[in-house]
Amino acid sequence: MAKTGMDRLQELKKDIFKCIHCKACRFAYSGEPDREGIGEFTGKQGTVLYEGMVDACPAGIEYGWEAFWNAGKIWIARSILNGDLEFTEEVRDVLMPCITCGQCSAQCENKVRTVDIIESLRAACKEAGVPMIDKHQLVDRLVKELNNPYGGKADERFKWAKDAGLEKYIDNKDAKIGYYVGCTASYRQVEVAIATAKVFEQLGMNFTLISDEVCCGSPFFRVGAVDTAQELMNKNLEAFKGLEKLYFSCAGCYRTITIDYPKWMPEDQKLPFKTQHAFELISKLITIGKVSFKPNKELKGKVVTYHDPCHTGRHFAVDMEQEMIRESKNLMFDMRKIKERQEAWFDVPRVILRKLEEDVGIKFTEMYRIKLNSMCCGAGGGVRAGYPDFSLRTASLRCDEANAVGADILTTECPFCWRNLSDANDLYTHGLQVMGILEMISKYNLLDLKEKPTQKELLE
Amino acid sequence: MIKISYKLPDEKDLEAMIGIVGKKYASNNKAITASYLAKSVMGLESQIPDIVIRPKYVEEIRKILIYCSAEKIPVSPVSAGLSGGFACPTIRPGGVLLDLGRMDRIIEIDEENRYAIIEPGVTNGTLWAYMHKNHPDWAPPIADGAPPAATVMGDAIDRGFSLYTSSVGPQGDNFMCGEVVFPNGDVVRTGSWALPFAKPFYKYGLGPDMWSYLMGSQGTMGVITKAAVKIYPHPKYKTVIVWGMSNPYDMQDLTLEVGKQEFGVSNHTVMVQGGNYPLVMARWPKDKIPHNYEFFKEIGVAKWWMNWETWAQTQEELDYCIKRINSIAKDFKQNRAKDPDAIKPQELHPKQIASRMKKPNKIAIPYSFWEAGFLFITWYTPWNECAEFAEMYNAEMEKRGFPPVMWIASIERCRQAICMPIICFDSTKDEDFEKVQDLNAVTTEYGLKRGWLNYRPDPYIHIQAYYQAGMYWKYLRAFKKMVDPNMIMHPGRLALP
Ligand SMILES: Cc1cc2nc3c(=O)[nH]c(=O)nc-3n(C[C@H](O)[C@H](O)[C@H](O)COP(=O)(O)OP(=O)(O)OC[C@H]3O[C@@H](n4cnc5c(N)ncnc54)[C@H](O)[C@@H]3O)c2cc1C
Ligand code: SF4
Ligand code: SF4
Repeated sequence: MAKTGMDRLQELKKDIFKCIHCKACRFAYSGEPDREGIGEFTGKQGTVLYEGMVDACPAGIEYGWEAFWNAGKIWIARSILNGDLEFTEEVRDVLMPCITCGQCSAQCENKVRTVDIIESLRAACKEAGVPMIDKHQLVDRLVKELNNPYGGKADERFKWAKDAGLEKYIDNKDAKIGYYVGCTASYRQVEVAIATAKVFEQLGMNFTLISDEVCCGSPFFRVGAVDTAQELMNKNLEAFKGLEKLYFSCAGCYRTITIDYPKWMPEDQKLPFKTQHAFELISKLITIGKVSFKPNKELKGKVVTYHDPCHTGRHFAVDMEQEMIRESKNLMFDMRKIKERQEAWFDVPRVILRKLEEDVGIKFTEMYRIKLNSMCCGAGGGVRAGYPDFSLRTASLRCDEANAVGADILTTECPFCWRNLSDANDLYTHGLQVMGILEMISKYNLLDLKEKPTQKELLE
Repeated sequence: MIKISYKLPDEKDLEAMIGIVGKKYASNNKAITASYLAKSVMGLESQIPDIVIRPKYVEEIRKILIYCSAEKIPVSPVSAGLSGGFACPTIRPGGVLLDLGRMDRIIEIDEENRYAIIEPGVTNGTLWAYMHKNHPDWAPPIADGAPPAATVMGDAIDRGFSLYTSSVGPQGDNFMCGEVVFPNGDVVRTGSWALPFAKPFYKYGLGPDMWSYLMGSQGTMGVITKAAVKIYPHPKYKTVIVWGMSNPYDMQDLTLEVGKQEFGVSNHTVMVQGGNYPLVMARWPKDKIPHNYEFFKEIGVAKWWMNWETWAQTQEELDYCIKRINSIAKDFKQNRAKDPDAIKPQELHPKQIASRMKKPNKIAIPYSFWEAGFLFITWYTPWNECAEFAEMYNAEMEKRGFPPVMWIASIERCRQAICMPIICFDSTKDEDFEKVQDLNAVTTEYGLKRGWLNYRPDPYIHIQAYYQAGMYWKYLRAFKKMVDPNMIMHPGRLALP
C-alpha cells in the first residue's frame, strides 16, 4: 500500500520534537560568525556581506515571517501533530514557497530532517483535502496525461537523440547500463542530454535510453503529490527492470531515484540497480588517469565558478550523514568519518574543475557559500512553477554571488539549476555564461581520453 | 496568582494593528502564529499567540501598547524568542506577540566610552561579526553559549550569562542605559540617558535606578527599544586552562580559591565554567554513545572539571595567569582536596582550545540529539553551595531516568554560581513531560528551602518563590501597575497577572 504524507510525518515525529527553535538553520555557516569572506558586494538584488554567517533560507529572506524560515515550519509540523493546528489553504500557502533546498538541515546540530518534514507536511496537507495551488494542479494533470510536467508529447521524449544521431541507444537491448535523461533535459535543456550521451559514447559506454522512461516524480514528491509521485516511481521501476546501473545528468532525478524511491518503496524492497551521476564517472576517470582535457584558447583565462546543486550536493551529503548515524555505534568517534566522507563527496565535481584549470587554463574560483553551505538556485520544491518571481529573485541572488567573485562562467551539474540561473542571468543582466560542466566539455570538445574505462569501472 | 480577564484580539483588533504597522507586518494567519511556538527548551506551557506583529519603530510600539492597554489585550515581546528556561513564550491567554526582529540596528559603537547602542533585534552573531570586522580590539557582551540567532537585548532582559560574566558580573550589569516604552504610552530613558544631551555613559542617573526594574523583567513591564551595552577589550592573548576532578565539591572549592584572587588573576578569567562528563555524553544520541565513565576516562574527560578561559593584554600577563591558577590548583590538591589523586590538569589540543573559545557557538544546541527535546532549568546559588545543588539535582534526575547533566559557571569571580541542569528527555512522550514537571516541583521545593533563586522562572511551578517573597512581590506589582495599569505585558511571567 502506498505511504501517505501523514505516515511519513508520524515516522518523523521524533525529529520534529527535537527542534528547539534555535534558528541556526537561517544561516549559511551558522556556527562561524567571524568566518573570513570576500566582503560586501552590491549586486542586482541588493547588498550582501559575504562574510561570517549569511542569511541563506530563500523562503525566509523572501517572506520574512518566522513561519517561512525553517524553524517556524518545524513548529507548524509540531502543532499539526499535537492537534493545535489544522491544514487549511492559509497553512498551505506558508508551506509551499520553500525550495526544499536543505540549507536548513545542513545547519542543524540536532540533525532534524527538515526537508523530509516539509515535504511530508505538504503531502499531509493535500491528503487533508486542501487543494494544491493552481500551478501545481496543472503540472500534476500534465504528468498524469503525458508522463512529464512540461506538456511534451510522450513519443517526443527522445527526439533530441534522434536529431543528434544517437538513435541507436534507444532501447539498446544488450546494454546493462541505462542513462536516465529526465524531463528537463528531454524537453527543455536538450543540450545537456546530448552532451551527456556524447560523452558516454566517447568513453565507449554501451548504454541504453529507455523509451518507457517517465518523469522521476521529483516535483511531485516535493509539492506533496506523493500519490502521483509513487505512480511514476512504479512505472520507472518497471521500465528499468534488468538494468545493473543507471546514470544521470540531472541532479533532481538522481536524488529522487536514489534517495526518495527507497523511502517510499515498501520497507522490504531496495533499489534493484546502482545509480550515479555522470560527473561522478568523469571525476573518477580523472582520478585514475584515464581522462584529461585538451587546451582551449577560448576558455583560457576565463574565471569559472561552480554552483553545487542542492539535489546532488547537500541532499546527498545529508542523506549520507543520516545513514552513517543510523549505522554508528559510537557517533562521537564516527562524526569525523562522516565529515570526511561529506567533504570527499563535495570534492567530486571539483576534481573536474581543478583538472580543467590544469589542462584547459580556466581559472576556477569558488563562491563564498559552497558545499554544505551552498545557496540554492531557487528552482526546486515546486517553486519555479508555483512562485516564478520569487524563484528568479533567488536565482539572481546566486548570480550576484558569482558576480562577486568576478566569474565569467557559472557552471553547475543540473539542468534545472541551469535553467533558473540562466533565466535570472538574462532577466537581471548578470552578464554570466551559465553552463553545465559536461556541456562545457562537450561543447568545446575538451575530452582527451587516455584510456577507455573498463565495463567493471562503468558498473561500479 | 491574581486573576485578571483579558480580551482575545479579533479581526477588528488586527485591522487596528495593520493601521499601525501596515498589512505586511501584522497577521493572524494560523500558520504564522503557530510558527512562534517553542515548547521544549523554552518552557512547557508555550501557547500559540492570536496575532503576531513585527514593528520597526518606537512610535509603532507606543501606539500598539496604548491600543492593547485600552482593549486589555495581552502583549508578549520577543527579541528572538530563544530564551532558555521559561522566560519567553507566550502563555495563556495568547494575545499579541510582538516580534522585534526587524528592529535590528547597531546604532553606535563608542570605543572611548566603551559602549555599543543596539536595538532589540541585534543578534549575537550579527554584533559579534560586526565588531570583529569594524572594531576588532573590542568584544560585545554576547551570551557565551547561546546560539548566534539569540539577541544581546533578550539576554540582558533575562539577566543572562555573557562571555565575561565570570569576571565582570551578570549580563544585566553590562547594560548602561536603556529606552523603554511603557503601556501607559510613556517612552522613558534610564540612567544618564534620561538627560536629553547625555551620552549613555552611566548606568545610574537622576536618583534611584529604574533600569534595574527592567533587568529580569521578562517583558512584563514594557518594551525596551534601545540599550547601551558595555564593550570590553578583546585582546589577542587568550587560552583555556582546565583542571579535572572526581566530584563537585573539589570543583567548587578549587574554583572559589581562584575566584577570590580578585585583584590578581580572577579579573582575567572571563569565563569560568565546568560540569560533569554527562555534559559531554548527552550531546549525542542516547543509543550511540557509551554511558559508562570508563569510556570518557579513556578519551581524557574527567568526571568533573572546571575551565578557566583567560584573557590578557600580553603573553607575559597570560603566562602569569596560567602559572598562578596552576599553582593554586596544585596547592589545593596537596592540602585541601577531598580526592587529591583525581585532581589533574587537562591538556587541551590547540584545536580544542580554539573550539572552546569560539563565540558565538552552537555548543548547547544538540542536547535534543540525546532523545527529542531538552530543558534548561537554571538556579542561582552562593558559589560555595553549588556542589550541594549539583549533588541533589543529579540524584533527582537519575531517579527519573534522565542523564545527570550539570553545567555550572561562576558569576563575578565566584560571588554567585549559575547552576544549570540540562534535562534531556523525549518530548514526544506525555509521561516524560510529567516526569520533568515532577522533577521541577521537587527540586524547587528543596531549592527554596535552601534559599536558592530560580532564574527564568516557570510561571506555574516556580511561583512558590513569589509567595515566599510577598513583600518584594507587592512592590514589584506596584511598579508594574504604575507603568502597565491594565497589566497587559507578558501575563503570567514573574507571577504577575
Ligand atoms: C542552546 C541555547 C543556549 C543558551 N546559552 C545561553 C548562555 O550561555 N547564556 C545565556 O545567558 N543564555 C543562554 N541561552 C538563553 C537565551 O538564548 C539567551 O538568553 C538569549 O540571548 C535570549 O535572547 P532572545 O532574543 O532569544 O530573547 P527572547 O527569548 O526574545 O526574550 C527573553 C525575555 O525577554 C523578553 N523580551 C525580549 N525582548 C524584549 C524587549 N525588547 N523588551 C522587553 N522585553 C523583552 C521576552 O518576553 C522574554 O521574557 C541559551 C539558549 C539556548 C536555546
Ligand atoms: S531545525 Fe535544528 S537548527 Fe533549526 S531551529 Fe530546529 S533545532 Fe535549530
Ligand atoms: S529547505 Fe531551503 S527554502 Fe526551505 S526552509 Fe529550508 S532553507 Fe528555507
